[in-house]
Amino acid sequence: MAMLEQLVTLPGALASFEFRGSGELLAYTIKEPTILDLDTLDLLAHMCAANMSIATMQARGWEKMTDMKGFYPVGQFTLVGFDWSVVVSGVRREMKKKAGEDYLPPFVGVVIANQKADYEAAFKALEETGELR
Amino acid sequence: MIKRILALDGVNAVCHFRDDGALVEGYGLMDHKELVRLAKFAHDYRRMAQGNADQLSMFTGMRGWTPPRGWVVGGQGFSACCVASIVCVVDNRECAINEVLTELQEVSRW
Repeated sequence: MAMLEQLVTLPGALASFEFRGSGELLAYTIKEPTILDLDTLDLLAHMCAANMSIATMQARGWEKMTDMKGFYPVGQFTLVGFDWSVVVSGVRREMKKKAGEDYLPPFVGVVIANQKADYEAAFKALEETGELR
Repeated sequence: MIKRILALDGVNAVCHFRDDGALVEGYGLMDHKELVRLAKFAHDYRRMAQGNADQLSMFTGMRGWTPPRGWVVGGQGFSACCVASIVCVVDNRECAINEVLTELQEVSRW
């Protein structure tokens, strides 16, 4: 939970959340005052899981077809919406998978307002989330 | 004009695609065949991401998600960044995503 609270201190952050690869929302922090609610975060988590899955399929196909490496596995996905963005990461999960660990942490995401968005800071913070568990 | 994206640190290839996914123009460290594939991939992913964002808005009633401006998919070594109908492939070690997204938004308005 400390991790999710730290993520909402990012510039422009509205909320942070954890979700399974199936899209199930596990935990969240919403910064007040807010225009987000639990139902929106729940669907957003499912949308991010779907987008990560499709991107993973495309990255797999791209690497096979072109012999270019470095796209698979997909570690991060960002949707830049009209006013809001969502950045999600499975980087720590991939690192633990690579290390052969049995327990894989959930995906982590943050919702940010485009006007104040710092995507690099969001990527970095999401990659470091494993340290805070 | 999309060539100026290539001048940014870490950008390996950039291409502009049509609404049917056909390549309009492309430059960088990929041959023509790969640029055609990149255009097709980016077009397909954009449609899917846009459709999902539309449904998110419809189901939740929350404004501000659509129309989406772009997306980034990050792999271990490389990322694909797309705004409107311009996509580029960047090297994660050298690239500044904020700068790339700002420049893609700028170029996409031309």
